[in-house]
Amino acid sequence: MMKYALFLGCQIPIRLQQYETSSRAVLERLGVELMDIGEFNCCGYPLRNIDFKTFLLASARNLALAETKKLNVMTLCQCCYGSLKKADFLLKENLSLRKEVNAVLQQEDISYEGKIEIKHLLSVLDQEVGIEAIRKKIEKPFQGLKIAAHYGCHALRPSQIVRFDDPGNPSIFERLVNVTGAKSIGWLMRLECCGAPLLGSHDELSTEMTLKKLNNGRESGANYLCTACTYCQIQFDTVQQMILSRQGSNPPLPSLLYPQLLGLSMGIPPEPLGLKMNKIPIREIGS
Amino acid sequence: MGKNLSMIQLMELDACTHCAMCSSHCSVAIAFEGIPNINILPSEKVASIKALASGNPLTEQEIRGLQEGVYLCTNCYRCTVVCPVGINLQNLWNRVRELLIQRGIPELSVLSPLSFYRGLMKAEAAQGDYEKPLTQAREAISSQCDLMKKKDEVLHLTPVDEKFKSGLDLSSQAKNFSICFGCQTCTTVCPVVRHYENPQEVLGLLPHQIMHAAGLGLKDLAIGSNMLWDCLTCYQCQEQCPRGVPVTDVLYELKNSAIKYTKEKI
Repeated sequence: MMKYALFLGCQIPIRLQQYETSSRAVLERLGVELMDIGEFNCCGYPLRNIDFKTFLLASARNLALAETKKLNVMTLCQCCYGSLKKADFLLKENLSLRKEVNAVLQQEDISYEGKIEIKHLLSVLDQEVGIEAIRKKIEKPFQGLKIAAHYGCHALRPSQIVRFDDPGNPSIFERLVNVTGAKSIGWLMRLECCGAPLLGSHDELSTEMTLKKLNNGRESGANYLCTACTYCQIQFDTVQQMILSRQGSNPPLPSLLYPQLLGLSMGIPPEPLGLKMNKIPIREIGS
Repeated sequence: MGKNLSMIQLMELDACTHCAMCSSHCSVAIAFEGIPNINILPSEKVASIKALASGNPLTEQEIRGLQEGVYLCTNCYRCTVVCPVGINLQNLWNRVRELLIQRGIPELSVLSPLSFYRGLMKAEAAQGDYEKPLTQAREAISSQCDLMKKKDEVLHLTPVDEKFKSGLDLSSQAKNFSICFGCQTCTTVCPVVRHYENPQEVLGLLPHQIMHAAGLGLKDLAIGSNMLWDCLTCYQCQEQCPRGVPVTDVLYELKNSAIKYTKEKI
C-alpha cells in the first residue's frame, strides 16, 4: 500500500485548493493513501533569499515530523520539492549541520536522521503507481487534445540534488500526459522558468518571462498548458489573467494542473477536480 | 496607527486574549529560531499593533521589528482560520504591512518570494507606492557597498577581503565556488541575461562577473550587485556549470550576506 505524508505548503490551502482536491481524487482511485500532518510548516523556499539557517530549520522541521510518523513525503508544489530535497540532501551528508539543526528541533522532541524520502506527485504517479496502472484507470481518453507540459525549474534542477528526471531532456511529464490520451507537444521553452519567483519583487521581469512561455506554447499549437507546481499554476492562471486585463492582446492559453487533466480522463466529475476554481476558464474538455 | 486601521480592526484588536492559537499554527513560527524577532509570531504581532494603535510609543527599533515580523509571513491564512475570537488577522497583516513599509525604513525581506502575495494583490493595494519598498530595499543594500558607487573608476585589487572570500568557500551554500575558471557559461545560459538587449546596462554585473568579484574578494561588488535580486533561481547556471560550481546557491549565499550585512548597518 503506497502511503505518503501529503505536503501541501502554504499556497495551496488558500490560493489553489483545486490542486489538493484534484490530487486527492486521482490518488484515491489509484490506491495511494495520504496522511495529513497538521504540524507541517512552510517548506522554507521563500526564506532562502533571507537567511540560510532559517530556511534549513523550516525545511528540516517538516522532514523530522514525517520521520516521526515513518512516512515518506509527497509534495504537490515543485518549489516545496526543491526546498525539502535540498534540506534532505544537506542533512543526510553533513553530520555537523544535522547536529546543529537537531539541537533546535529537539526542543519539540523531534529530530531528523535522514530516514525518509521526498517525492513529487509526478514521480509517485510515474514510478510508484506506474503508467500501466494509470492506463487501466483511464475511462475517457482525450481525442486530439494538445498539451504543452510545463516542467518548471525546481523539480528538474539542480539535478544532483533533486534527482527527478534527466535535466536536459526529461520525459516524465510527457509520459503522464500521453497516458490520458492527450498529445504532449514539443515546445522550445518547455524547460524554462515561469517567472513566479520574481513576482512581487520584479514584476516586469516576472510577467515577461510568463508571457514568453505562453506565447511559445500558443505558437507551438497547444490547447492548454499543463503544470505540476503551485507557483507555476498560479503564475499561468491568476497572473496571466492579471496580465490580460492590462494588455489583453492575445487570446489566453489556459493552464490546468496535471491531476485535473488526469482526473478528467479517469472519468472523475469536474467538481472534485475544482475546474471552476481556475481563473482562466477550462472549457469542457472531453473525448 | 490607530487612525489608519478600520473601526472593525480596532475592535478586533481589543478582542485578542493573547491565547496564542495563531502562533502555535503559524507556518513560519520556526523562523524565530533563525531570526530572533518575536514579531514573527502572530500573537506578538497583534500585541505590538495593539500598543501602536492605542498610542503607546514604540521605539524605532520596536517598529522595525514589527515591520520585519509582519513581512516574514507566507500569508497561508492559518492564523486567521484558527483564531478563536474570529479576528481577521490576514487583513490586519495586509493593512499594517503596507502602512509600515511605506514609512521609509527599508524592509529587506521584500526582496524574496514572500512578496509573491503582494504581487498578486497589486490591484487591491490602494494606498502608497507599490514599487517604493522594493527600490528602497535595493538601494539600502547597494548604498552600503562603497565600490558600487564608483562606476567608472579603476579598481585597486588590494586590499581584498580575504575573510569574505574564505567565508564563502567554507559556507554550506557557496562551498568550492573558487574552482570557477571564468568560462562565462552561467551568464550565457541565464534566461534573465538573455531577456535584455543590453543586459549589463539593465542588470549591472552579470553572473560570471559577480562570481569573479567574489573570487577577487571584492565583497562590495559581490554582495552589492543588483542582479542578485533579479535571479529567478531557475538553476540553469548551476546545472550547466562545467566545473560543478553551485552558482545559484552562491548567489543565495551572497543574498543572505547582503541582507545580514545591510541589516547591521542601517
